[in-house]
Amino acid sequence: MDKENKYIPYRVRIAKKTQESSNIQTYRLEFVDEKDAENFSFRSGQFCEYGVPGEGESTFCIASPDTRKGYVECTFRTTGRVTAALANCEENDIISLRGPFGNAFPIEQWYGKNVVFVTGGIALPPLRCVIDTLLDQREKFGEISVYYGAKNVEELTYKAELEEWAARGDMNLFITVDPGGETPEWKNFIGFVPTILEQNPPKSDNAVAVIAGPPILIKLGMPILAKSGFPNDQIYTTLENRMKCGVGKCGHCTVGKTYVCKDGPVFTYEEVLGMPLEY
Amino acid sequence: MEIKTITSANIPVFFNNLVKSGKVVVAPVLKKSGKVFFESVQSYDQVSTDYIQTAFSAKSVVFPEVEELFSYTKKEDGDFEFRNDMSNVPETVIWGLRPCDSSAFNYLTDFFLKENPDTYFKLRKERTTLISVSCAKADAACFCTSVGLNPGNVTGSDILLTAMGDSYYVEISTEKGKSVIDTALFTDSTEKSKEEFLAKVETKFSMDEIRERIQTAYDSAEWKHESMGCLGCGACAFSCPTCTCFDIQDEGSQESGKRLRCWDACGFGQFTRHASGHNPKSNQTARRRQRLMHKFKYSVENFGIVSCVGCGRCIRVCPAHLNIFENILNVTKA
Repeated sequence: MDKENKYIPYRVRIAKKTQESSNIQTYRLEFVDEKDAENFSFRSGQFCEYGVPGEGESTFCIASPDTRKGYVECTFRTTGRVTAALANCEENDIISLRGPFGNAFPIEQWYGKNVVFVTGGIALPPLRCVIDTLLDQREKFGEISVYYGAKNVEELTYKAELEEWAARGDMNLFITVDPGGETPEWKNFIGFVPTILEQNPPKSDNAVAVIAGPPILIKLGMPILAKSGFPNDQIYTTLENRMKCGVGKCGHCTVGKTYVCKDGPVFTYEEVLGMPLEY
Repeated sequence: MEIKTITSANIPVFFNNLVKSGKVVVAPVLKKSGKVFFESVQSYDQVSTDYIQTAFSAKSVVFPEVEELFSYTKKEDGDFEFRNDMSNVPETVIWGLRPCDSSAFNYLTDFFLKENPDTYFKLRKERTTLISVSCAKADAACFCTSVGLNPGNVTGSDILLTAMGDSYYVEISTEKGKSVIDTALFTDSTEKSKEEFLAKVETKFSMDEIRERIQTAYDSAEWKHESMGCLGCGACAFSCPTCTCFDIQDEGSQESGKRLRCWDACGFGQFTRHASGHNPKSNQTARRRQRLMHKFKYSVENFGIVSCVGCGRCIRVCPAHLNIFENILNVTKA
C-alpha cells in the first residue's frame, strides 16, 4: 500500500485457511512483498479492508494480536458477494489488503486490572485479537473473563481456541448458546449473552469491560455492565458500521458527526452515550 | 486581492485565449432540455451567459462521478499488479461557476485535504483554476445570503468576474488567478462598487439562530413530517456542490479491471445497511435528518463550515418538492 494513497492495496498471500464453521473462515495473511511486511504495523483493535479484485472489499477487524508479528489474521462469515469470493479462495491465493485503519484499545492502561470481555456470534474475532494480546503478556493483567455466545454450537467461532482457553485454567469462561441452539453433548450455558451476563455479573472492582457484537448486544450489554459497577469510561466497545474507504471520506459509517472508521472503531460507553443511536 | 477591469467585448478573447493555452476549459452550456450543464468548451460562442444556476455543480472536475482509483491485472503466478497513473489529468479552468459553488470548493478542499489527504482530489484541485461569475439574477430557490454568503462573494474563486454593463469587475484572489490573466486585456479598475450589479437574494433564515437551535434539533418531532415524501432518490446529493459521499466498486473480472469510486448518497436505503441486514438509519426520516444535520451541524463541528452554500439545486431538483431551508426552519423552530 502506498503511504500517501490509501486506496492502493497491499498484496497478501493466504498462508493458512481454517474453516471455523460451515460459513466462517479464518485466514492467516502474509505480505507478498517483504518491504510491505516491514512497513506494516498495527495495534489491537484496528481494522483492514480485505478484497478480491473484481469483486470488491469487505471490512473486518484484525483478529490476531499485535504481539504476533509478520502476519495478520481475519475471520469472516460468508454473507454477500465479496465474502463469498473471499471464502472461495484457497491457501496460497493472493488477495488485496488496505489498512490498518482506525484507533485501538488502550491496552497499556489496563495493566494490573481485571478485564471482562462480552461478545456474541461473529464478534469474537475483534476481541480475540485483544484477548490474545493480553494472554501473550498474561502476567500484566488480573483476572480475564470472557462471556461469549452464538446462535448455536455450530456457529461458535474459534472452537479449538475456546478449548485451549478452558484448559489454561487462568481464565473465567462463560460460553453460551441461544436457547434451542444446544446439542445433546452441550455442557456450557444456554441463554442469550445479556441474560448470562446478568445472572453471572462480573466483578467491577479494578476492572475494565470490553464488549463487541451485533448492535443489539452492545445496546443491551453496556447498561448491564454499567449497572454492575463499571464506570462508563471503563466500558469499551468496537462499533462496526458499514464502511468503504476506511479514512473518513466515503460517509457510510457515520454516527452523528463521528466517523467510526477514523474516530473509532473503539469507543468508551461514555463516548457512545454522547452519540445518536446510529450503530 | 487585485482588482482589474476588462471590457465585455474582450471577455470572449480572454476565454478563447484560455482554450488556446492548452487548458481544458469547462463552462456552462445550454442543452436542448433547457437546462445548463458544465462541459468542456472550445469557444466562447458555446458558453451560456443567461442562467441562474447550472443543473449540476462543477465539483465533478475535482471529484468525478466515477473515478478510477487504480487498475489491476492478475499475473500468471496469481500475484496482482496494481497501477495508478494520473499524469494525464489536464490543467482545467472552470469558467462561470456561481460564487456559491466556488465557496463549496473551499469546503471540499478542507474535507478532502485537512485529514488523511486524498491523493486524487489533491492532484485535480492543484490543476484546477476557478473563474467565477457573480449572480445578476436569483430565483426563489436561491438562499446563499442565509448561509453567510452572497451573490458576489469571492470565497474559493481564483478570479471573480462581475458584469457591470459594458465591462466586468475582476477580483483576482490567488497567484493561480494571476497566472491566467492576459495582462493586455485587463486595465486597473476605476469602478467603485459592484454591489448594485448583484442579484438581490432574499434571506430565508438567520444562520446565527439556526446555529444555536440546530444543537437540539436531532430529537425534533418535525423530522418525520419534513421528510415525508422523500423518495430516497439521491437527486439532492448528486446535484449538491458539497456532497462528498462515495461508494467503491470493482469493474471487470477477477483477472483484470478497475477499482472505481462512484458518487453515493446518504438518502439511499442501502447506504448504511450492514451485511447482517441491520440498518442503523433504517428509514427515510433518519436519512433525511442525516443529510441536513451534516450540512448545518456536523460539518460545523468537524470543519467549522456550514456545508450548505444555498445554491438551491436540491430544491429545484427534488421530485417530492422537499425544500431544505423550509425543512431547517421547521426542525429548529422554538
